[in-house]
Amino acid sequence: MQGSARRTGVMTDVHRRFLQLLMTHGVLEEWDVKRMQKHCYKVHDRNATVDKLEDFINNINSVLESLYIEIKRGVTEDDGRPIYALVNLATTSVSKMATDFAENELDLFRKALELIIDSESGFASSTNILNLVDQLKGKKMKKKEAELVLQKFVQNKWLIEKEGEFTLHGRAILEMEQYIRETYPDSVKICNICHSLLIQGQSCETCGIRMHLPCVAKYFRSNAEPRCPHCNDYWPHEIPEVFDPEKEREPGISKSNRKSLRSRRH
Amino acid sequence: MSEQSKDLSDPSFAAEAPSSEAQSSPGVPGGVPPSATLAEPQSPPLGPTAAPQAAQPPQAPIEEVDPKALLEAAEEGRAHQAPSAAQPGPAPPAPAQLVQKAHELMWYVLVKDQKKMIIWFPDMVKDVIGSYKKWCRSILRRTSLILARVFGLHLRLTSLHTMEFALVKALEPEELDRVALSNRMPMTGLLLMILSLIYVKGRGARESAVWNVLRILGLRPWKKHSTFGDVRKLITEEFVQQNYLKYQRVPYVEPPEYEFFWGSRASREITKMQIMEFLARVFKKDPQAWPSRYREALEEARALREANPAAHCPRNSVSED
Repeated sequence: MQGSARRTGVMTDVHRRFLQLLMTHGVLEEWDVKRMQKHCYKVHDRNATVDKLEDFINNINSVLESLYIEIKRGVTEDDGRPIYALVNLATTSVSKMATDFAENELDLFRKALELIIDSESGFASSTNILNLVDQLKGKKMKKKEAELVLQKFVQNKWLIEKEGEFTLHGRAILEMEQYIRETYPDSVKICNICHSLLIQGQSCETCGIRMHLPCVAKYFRSNAEPRCPHCNDYWPHEIPEVFDPEKEREPGISKSNRKSLRSRRH
Repeated sequence: MSEQSKDLSDPSFAAEAPSSEAQSSPGVPGGVPPSATLAEPQSPPLGPTAAPQAAQPPQAPIEEVDPKALLEAAEEGRAHQAPSAAQPGPAPPAPAQLVQKAHELMWYVLVKDQKKMIIWFPDMVKDVIGSYKKWCRSILRRTSLILARVFGLHLRLTSLHTMEFALVKALEPEELDRVALSNRMPMTGLLLMILSLIYVKGRGARESAVWNVLRILGLRPWKKHSTFGDVRKLITEEFVQQNYLKYQRVPYVEPPEYEFFWGSRASREITKMQIMEFLARVFKKDPQAWPSRYREALEEARALREANPAAHCPRNSVSED
């Protein structure tokens, strides 16, 4: 590396500590990130004014650019909470998982991922995943074992489980979007509004375009007669509420009424 | 634990569009197809590297001799020979490729540390460095440099004997960032709770005592917790596996009882002063409320300062800083 002071971006101890902490935690919600940023300033540069988070992160990213890593901001698909993670752009993020999991476990994840991407709802049932256990590469895995491995994925924030079904955690989407889009170009779904990868969302029953729930919320905000942006047909689904960081004191706890947002059967 | 999947050690790489030797370009060299460990286990993973037939070999990438016993022990090849000597083997890679390897190694080390896994030198060679083993020294050095400059972390050789590395914070002041971050008790809060109990007792903490303390936090051995999951498994297996705790049978006691001790990793990574600060914060008391422990912590802090004035002694450090 030719030197850290590139034409853009300067790293100070504030930034370094921030990076350390972000890496340690893997993925963080925005309110945590803001607290963390303030903490880093407090430790190293008490008197400085705290940069706006976006600028702060852009500054760091300009330094990270040459290392092919990036602090990425994403939004959870079910309730639109902003999350941040340090992701590796150069290699597939699965190599990040690969240090943790055995060959057959990785393959189980791969199978689950394929089922999730192919599904209409963005969820793959536990049963369907477990039925593929015989096809796994590597050491033979029993269904009981596979159940535990799936739980391991949940604990490591690669998958989310809801009522016996699995979908991708926001972190997995952040890290693996590029890989998924390139590996499954035909089955991958894209949001009509933000053009990012879509796993869970709502779709128009007439023309089939899809939108993330948070994207639906923003697009149709205070619109009494929501219509499909593509074919103008009446939008047949319940419009969720836009995520309001002020109202959400405990972002980790998903409110029970949010579960109803999953109901949009195509 | 997990077996390294074979693909990770495959040293040959899919050829990218001809080499990115112009390393001055700040952007990513070309669209990067994520040759995925997931997608084709047969095909080479770990990022886009041009095949090691560089346009022209630059000046010999072998850095000046750096007598680290570790690297000489682990390297089979003779790294001191000029690569152009009559020797079957890949031509010296372009500087850009070494830089890329350094970046891969950086990420590898960061992830291992994040997962609290041991950073083992032979694994580094097998999983990342691969056929670039001869240039391992320069790759390692560059990685250390990047980690220090960008992350403020030192890649430190903690044990020549076991060839283990660790990522150590290089920023002053050392602080318990984790505790600063969250009101909820994160994993490390749980660990610190147990470690401080052991520390205050001055000897091993019986499992029953530990559960008495954890009960205050609402944790029970039989109850699954929303954050921690199976708490008992966490503290008796995972923390033990990671060498943060030791879980041993109390001798000569029937029916069998177990007790916890500090693990080697805890002794390495956590100072007594940090424990005192933790206790002070949790109990809202002055650290001097535990006078003998506080004295011990001061002693340790002083000993540490004397042992490591600014940087670690050169023998143990691969970092330039």
